[in-house]
Amino acid sequence: MNEALMQAFGQVFTPEVLLAIVFAAIYGVFMGAVPGLSATMAVALFVPVTYWMGPVPAVAAIVTMSACAIFAGDIPTTLLRIPGTPASAAYVDDAYSYTLRGQSDHALGVALLWSVAGGLFGALVLMLLGHQLANIAAYFGVAEYFWLYLLGLSSAIVVSRGSVIKGMLSLFIGLLLATVGLSSVHTAARFTFGQPELFQGIDFIAAMIGLFGLSEVLRILMDLERTDSAGHLTPPARSQPVSDYVRRYLIHPVVSLFRPALHLLRMRTGHWVRSSAIGSLIGILPGAGADIASWVSIGASQRFSKDPDAYGRGSLEGLADATAANSSALAGTWIPALVFGIPGDSITAIAMGVLLMKNMDPGPAIFEEQPVFVYSLYMAFILANLVLIPVGFLAIKAGGFVVRVPRRVLLPIILLFCVIGAYAIKGSYFDVGIMLGMGLLGFALERRQVPLGPLVLGIILGGPLEARFIQTLTVSGGSPLAFFNRPAAALLGMACIALWMATAVMKMKQNWKKDRKELVAAEESE
Amino acid sequence: MPRLIAPSTKRRSLAGKYGTFKPILVIAAISCLVVGCKEQETFPSRPITLICPWSAGGGTDQVARQIAMQLEHTLGVPVNVLNATGGAGVTGHTRGAQANPDGYTITMITSELNMLHWRGMTNISYLDYEPLMQVNRDYAAVFVRADAPWSSLQELEQAIRARPGTLTASGTAFGGVWHVSMVGWLLKSGFSADAVTWIPMDGSAPSLQELMAGGLDFVVCSLPEARSLLEAGAIRTLGVMAEERLARYPGVPTFKEHGIEWTSGTWRGLAVPKGIPEERAEVLTNALRQVVAGDAYMDFLQAAGFGSAALPRQEFAAFLEQENEAYGEVFASDAFQAVTSQRYGPWLFPAVVIGLMAVTIAVLLGSGALRVHDEAQEVTARGAFRVGIAVGAIILYMLVAEQAGYVLSAALLLAVLFWTFKVKWYVAAGVVLVLVPLTYQVFAVYLRVGLPWGWLGW
Repeated sequence: MNEALMQAFGQVFTPEVLLAIVFAAIYGVFMGAVPGLSATMAVALFVPVTYWMGPVPAVAAIVTMSACAIFAGDIPTTLLRIPGTPASAAYVDDAYSYTLRGQSDHALGVALLWSVAGGLFGALVLMLLGHQLANIAAYFGVAEYFWLYLLGLSSAIVVSRGSVIKGMLSLFIGLLLATVGLSSVHTAARFTFGQPELFQGIDFIAAMIGLFGLSEVLRILMDLERTDSAGHLTPPARSQPVSDYVRRYLIHPVVSLFRPALHLLRMRTGHWVRSSAIGSLIGILPGAGADIASWVSIGASQRFSKDPDAYGRGSLEGLADATAANSSALAGTWIPALVFGIPGDSITAIAMGVLLMKNMDPGPAIFEEQPVFVYSLYMAFILANLVLIPVGFLAIKAGGFVVRVPRRVLLPIILLFCVIGAYAIKGSYFDVGIMLGMGLLGFALERRQVPLGPLVLGIILGGPLEARFIQTLTVSGGSPLAFFNRPAAALLGMACIALWMATAVMKMKQNWKKDRKELVAAEESE
Repeated sequence: MPRLIAPSTKRRSLAGKYGTFKPILVIAAISCLVVGCKEQETFPSRPITLICPWSAGGGTDQVARQIAMQLEHTLGVPVNVLNATGGAGVTGHTRGAQANPDGYTITMITSELNMLHWRGMTNISYLDYEPLMQVNRDYAAVFVRADAPWSSLQELEQAIRARPGTLTASGTAFGGVWHVSMVGWLLKSGFSADAVTWIPMDGSAPSLQELMAGGLDFVVCSLPEARSLLEAGAIRTLGVMAEERLARYPGVPTFKEHGIEWTSGTWRGLAVPKGIPEERAEVLTNALRQVVAGDAYMDFLQAAGFGSAALPRQEFAAFLEQENEAYGEVFASDAFQAVTSQRYGPWLFPAVVIGLMAVTIAVLLGSGALRVHDEAQEVTARGAFRVGIAVGAIILYMLVAEQAGYVLSAALLLAVLFWTFKVKWYVAAGVVLVLVPLTYQVFAVYLRVGLPWGWLGW
């Protein structure tokens, strides 16, 4: 074993670092679980603390809290239908449907275990292939990003429940909302009507809290009487009474949470590899992160699934694949930071700032000059995912109390959290107003069975999509060939168009079958 | 205190028989006991908000958080950084300028303050601010790939002269600080503003990546932003737009040495809205002077690679005025106007989206699929009433929170809803009493979310 590796072991397995990791895990889970507080915010708030820490514990803590926050976003997603982080928005309805059936533990167990599995895969990719894969970014010019974003948006339509055309409507509303405010390419104001508040645009976190969380509260309020018989959001499933306390309170919850998830992992190892690989690859690209990874992976997952119709209604497979992808994307974002010194997202940007303060320069030289640190970082990634298992388990159990609170008491509290969450993003009442407006919009759209997922992704990706579109045209002087004339762009473009064609063909087949059935039924009745 | 009692007594007549006014009175009383409703005599006596117009994790945010931390030590009250992001800096600078001039809202102003109003994006300019101190300055520099054919600024200028309009550069969006820096240089050297094609990118990091990928010929950004690539030898710098060579990069020539009379770069400084009482501005300035001169701040700048600057009030004000005029000339030049009126304008993308949306809606309307679905629940009068109350409660919160403060407004929001849902009063009181102070403590105190302060003084 080489010396640097041994030194790294010595640096990581110290009480200071381990303690930092445990505390960071708890902190990260909390920040991720509260809507409106993001992993980025968690890390930014943590920076002043790092001044008194060595580089290894500081970075280990940052890695741990971001990994834990990404998983923790799944907890309010599942229990309350409020995505804690944008990465969870891809499978909101899949996860929430389990809570409605009283099986929230089932969905959360899968989310936890697949997050850990995805995170570990991502860590392995970072360790073994980081150097080679970093060069992928060099193939990614503006046209490639354009297709990647389009692929993510198309997946969002394909996997959402209901008709494709309604999904498209939802997406276009989202894209249009994304153009409110200042265009990032032109720095020109659009749809602002001279209001300074509108310059900041529609914040997607506020929109997400409103579209999913508030609209669900409103829906329940609409007929509180009819659905109120139990008085709970879900009837908590009562298991068989177990006399032995250890078994009842310790072994049974652990087994019941992890067994189905483990079973799923064993049955679908290949899917785990595919989803995590998609996540890692997307994570490597600066400007694409956990959220796009979720959507693309769930889109791919549906292609390979035996039960594609369940997606958007309660597909455990989709949930599993998306959580694996968003967690593995996290390690991916570190690859360009380490190899080029270019941060892959805002979290790695902050982490790089911290490293610079410790007189360590991330960048090509770090592998030769600071191998011990690099190995320590690798280990931190593995430890972060391992510590997530117990901490995540406790968080799920703590979250379980939420669904036992009577609805009449719980709904006002959720409403208050929607308000604080929207306000916390940047301390603006305008965002609270956006949350409210989006809640009403979501409520109205859901009554018409228009899916909301594409709308959220449209708001998130509208800006970048437009930027790449305009940039590609500017570089090429207006020739549409620019979207296809590089190999990677052509490949992604073709994948995107193939997805559209496949969906169109599938829908046509379905319609044809339905027509035939109706025809047969009509003939029989005659 | 009389203002505190008022909303509660109003609730009494409204909520009479349900008795939910009780939690409000109880919480008001207890909160008052807990915090003691202290008088505000000395400045500062409550948390200060430091508005940062840029997002968490960026360079400005790092400087803002560092300053906030040091200010906390000096002033003895919490200083919370608020990332009022969006609109290329318009949001934060507007909010900072329009804040209450009581000294409890400070803004970290950046060079964009002198640019946004020239582009007609806001009416806010340096005239709306009382500057306190400039705390950092980073100059623009020109970067090329290590294998680029140009070894000096002259050679690059020759290439531009030989093939005007074919070289591409970036560093930020159109009209951003690095774009203006480049255009200013081109104009000073006698080129037209479009002699180099500016590709709008989202910032220096993606621009540098695009430079490495071969999509750009050079990048204009600050030295610290390109530090790791520079030190790794992947890129070279041809010159920096500073007054004199930088102590940290003595090998980098200035533009002035090449005979180009142009300096440009970003800066960051602290300012308060005009109209602040002079003695409060003095308190803040004195505290800032200590912070900026302190070793901790110097070490931070040194370690993070930011350029130091400590312009006191008068000099900072003079600097703002002078730079504002210099940028005004660049923005007003015909050449720049020509560059910014682009072919693929800001309305192209919305037009495409609206077109596609119109088609989609037409198809949906044609097939009748946009009707309320059969499975959707019925709208009952009671249901609609509850939804109305919920929406009204949120609007009420938005209206009163800034005045009354988080604790009272949140209690009010919960009380209204509990009353509507007919929750037993002791359950409601218990939840309000535990939840409201707890959320305030966690969000405002531990997580530094600036929840509104209000009448209770908490």
